[in-house]
Amino acid sequence: MFQYIIRRILLAIPVVVLISFIVFYIIQLPPGDYVSSYAAKMSASGDIMSQAEMDQMRANLGLDRPIYEQYFMWMKKIILHGDFGFSFNYNKPVMAVIQQYMGLTLVVSLVTMAFHYIVAIPIGIYTAVKQYSVGDYFFSGLSFIGMATPNFLLAIILMFLSYKWFGNPLLGLFSPEYVNAPWSMDKVKDLMQHMVIPVIVIGLSGTADLVRIMRGQMLDELNKPNVVTARAKGLSEMQILFKYPTRAALNPIVSTFGWSLSSIFTGATITAIVLNLPIQGPVMHNALLGQDMYLAGTFLLIMALLTVLGTLISDILLAWLDPKIRTEFRGS
Amino acid sequence: MKRGSKLLIGLILMTTALGGCSFSSSNNVAEKVKESPDVKETIVKENNNTKESPNLAKLVSEGKLPKLEERLPAAKDIMVENVVDEIGEYGGDWKMPWNGVADKWGIGQPTEEALFRFNQEGNKVEPNVAKGYEVNADSTVFTIHLREGMKWSDGVPFTADDVLFYWEHMLTKETFGKKIYDAYYSVDPATGDRALAEVKKVDDYTFTVTHKYPSVLFLERVAIDNKWFFAPAHFHKTILPEFVGDAKTLEITKEWGYEDPKTFLMETGYTDWLHYQIPTLRAWVPTNDPNGDQFVMERNPYYWKTDKEGKQLPYIDRIVATKIQDPSQKVLGTLSGDYNLTIFDSKDFTVLKENEKKGDFRIIPWTQPSWSSAGIQLNQTTEDPNLRKLFQDIKFREALSIGVDRNEVSEIVTNGLGEPIQASVPKGVMGYQEGWDKQWAEYDPERANKILDELGLTKRDKNNFRTNADGSELTLTIVESSTDNAPFLELLKKYYEEMGLRTNVKIVDGTTQFDMKYANQIPMHTENISVANVAFRPDTLVPLRVMTPWLGHYGLYTQSGGKEGVKPEGDVAKILEYWDKVKSSKTLEDINNYSNEIVKLHQKNQWVIGYAGPTPVLIVANNKIHNIPTDAIWCDEYRSLGQGHPAQFFIKQ
Repeated sequence: MFQYIIRRILLAIPVVVLISFIVFYIIQLPPGDYVSSYAAKMSASGDIMSQAEMDQMRANLGLDRPIYEQYFMWMKKIILHGDFGFSFNYNKPVMAVIQQYMGLTLVVSLVTMAFHYIVAIPIGIYTAVKQYSVGDYFFSGLSFIGMATPNFLLAIILMFLSYKWFGNPLLGLFSPEYVNAPWSMDKVKDLMQHMVIPVIVIGLSGTADLVRIMRGQMLDELNKPNVVTARAKGLSEMQILFKYPTRAALNPIVSTFGWSLSSIFTGATITAIVLNLPIQGPVMHNALLGQDMYLAGTFLLIMALLTVLGTLISDILLAWLDPKIRTEFRGS
Repeated sequence: MKRGSKLLIGLILMTTALGGCSFSSSNNVAEKVKESPDVKETIVKENNNTKESPNLAKLVSEGKLPKLEERLPAAKDIMVENVVDEIGEYGGDWKMPWNGVADKWGIGQPTEEALFRFNQEGNKVEPNVAKGYEVNADSTVFTIHLREGMKWSDGVPFTADDVLFYWEHMLTKETFGKKIYDAYYSVDPATGDRALAEVKKVDDYTFTVTHKYPSVLFLERVAIDNKWFFAPAHFHKTILPEFVGDAKTLEITKEWGYEDPKTFLMETGYTDWLHYQIPTLRAWVPTNDPNGDQFVMERNPYYWKTDKEGKQLPYIDRIVATKIQDPSQKVLGTLSGDYNLTIFDSKDFTVLKENEKKGDFRIIPWTQPSWSSAGIQLNQTTEDPNLRKLFQDIKFREALSIGVDRNEVSEIVTNGLGEPIQASVPKGVMGYQEGWDKQWAEYDPERANKILDELGLTKRDKNNFRTNADGSELTLTIVESSTDNAPFLELLKKYYEEMGLRTNVKIVDGTTQFDMKYANQIPMHTENISVANVAFRPDTLVPLRVMTPWLGHYGLYTQSGGKEGVKPEGDVAKILEYWDKVKSSKTLEDINNYSNEIVKLHQKNQWVIGYAGPTPVLIVANNKIHNIPTDAIWCDEYRSLGQGHPAQFFIKQ
């Protein structure tokens, strides 16, 4: 097992390097660069840059060098100094930008994730156990709607209702007066209030998927011989349910758990833009649009790293959860 | 059957659950907008004698701030700002939505303090930071007076040295990434020789600008190119490499969190209003990092303007700019009272008007000197030779103009706010021509088709679209950077295709569009022309550089001194001739005449076709905010909302 983990970690290194290269290459693909994007924005507000000024700016930012040179400079700094480069948009080191948004991103992502597991797993179990009941149809119907509705649309509808009923669309994560205020009970309360819509909206789409997966898995497991045997031996229904089918049904959920690491890191994007949430998703979106390449590159790189890492964690968790897989490890 | 009935019940349950959150229960009255705690704190106690904000008075009594008289300029030199309606009261926040540092000018323009600013009519400049000026008979020597005792926001005196420092150590050394502005060059009418002006200090409060050749519009052009013809010398001396050495500048750059000194110097020397470390003359000074979720500016205790009762401005305590990520949040936030003074274009007119009462705000339209609100520009130098020939043909432009029903465009695209007229200089704006708005404005598809036939576009392909005379495909491509214009583009496509002209709309992102413009790959584009006065800002009407779609690579030709681009010919060349005459004119009359000739050439050629007249910019202000002028002109040259003099806006408590 230990050897297996070491081998997996070693294998991850070339994968990440390869990804970093592809990432950098892809970011360079769209026409134009940060300077033309900046000049376009400035000219929209009447501040016109001349060609010479743009060339000058390119030289200042090192954008006039060949791509591979920029890539190696970037990589060198990351490896030697842990310096991920500089965000042109924010005029700050990339890491400072990411740090600025990390706290709230984690809060939103983790609360959403908790919501999504806490709601989805019990409903999945319920709909499987009570297959074809009124409750099953109700929740299945809801989850289909949840899957089919685009998140951001739901966000807009909820915001509208919130405005209609309470006169406040609950934009962002704080009311304007609390944005810069130091932390206090009132600020936490304000945050909670503003978290309702994002958590429901971001959580719901995943929840719907999860309910369907859980239900399907449970239905497969419910009539397995081990369950029948347990029932024959007189175990209570509850005990049977949680000891055998639920545990087995968690398998696909755990194996996909690792992938959510990178989505925890960025948080939702489009929904976050609609709801004006100050989290990483929109920052990354803007970095990509504005060709703020080191910021965008770092985001993609970290996401790739987290995905690789998450897959590893999933594998380890699976081995722990599923005896069959554990044996396979030993066998190798 | 049993399963079926359960399914039915399930579905009914589900629909009621969803129905619960339907739009029908809208009878709940919106809660009153919550007052923010900050507003409550700063409510002014009735005290009519006070000449300064209670917040500042408190600091003075605590000994943290000098007395008001010591902070203001010498009594004779205080600038008295006229209030629009009434003398205001202190307090409150101007709450606005903001797109973040990418929208520097959104905060920069309304708070800007120019050396000379445009007057209310916009036809000439008036002193602002400067106290006044004299000019000699042939407009070569400008003597400019400053205000005695005026101070930067950190209390350090503002003198002619700050102007001289800016000129000698920043502008002429090009430390902040901008070339020396055109305004500082004068042109010899005979030889075309360009000479840089000389700036000299006379005493602490007087300096002169001397031109080699007459420069009649010098002050106006400075008011556009380089309003901030000064900089806090005491601050810049601590960061410029010339004073502290390259190594130290690099060190400071890193301390501020910047990567390279050039960018740092550009940020601090050019767009300096976002940094709380830099002293300013503006009414509000920044207090925190603009990259956060909320950017706050507070009143400048040393602000040098008062109202006519001697109360120091500004009235409003703070500007609170909250970051938004999507334009719809501006609308929502305005409706719900999160923001109290915002700017919209006429697209949002209906939703705003509907909620005017409920949201407790009013809509103040400001006119724009735009030629149109829905129009099309044809790139006169487009790459495809067939298209170029057509675009340069005045007949073709006429066909495109009369082949579209302007009434429909006006109703659908502008809610009827823009009149169904041709792109033309609006009445009341410099260069207005009688009857121009009617030129080719009547919808006449028959004549349009006849013209196209006469142009030799008689052959049709299998889809019944016209082809070029040589049988090759003919496609009009409109390149756009957003879908904001979608309804207009659809109408255009419909009408153009009814004339048998295949039309493609290509949406690309802003950066790509910018690059395509430079590469001459944009045949058609829907940008509207907005010019207050061609003599002040010629770029969109005179091909001086690559910028406006219609002039395509003619601009590159001038910009590169004839090395690249397409040589202007015919009327376009004539425009350039007139522009040279404007630049070297000795009297205002000459300037106005030649400017008018340039506009007339545009009228004759109609390179820019308009399908709906200009629409106003909407200023949406909470009903508690007063003193916002209702008859002002909105344009970049006059610094948008800055033209309303926000320092005298106030919030009634």
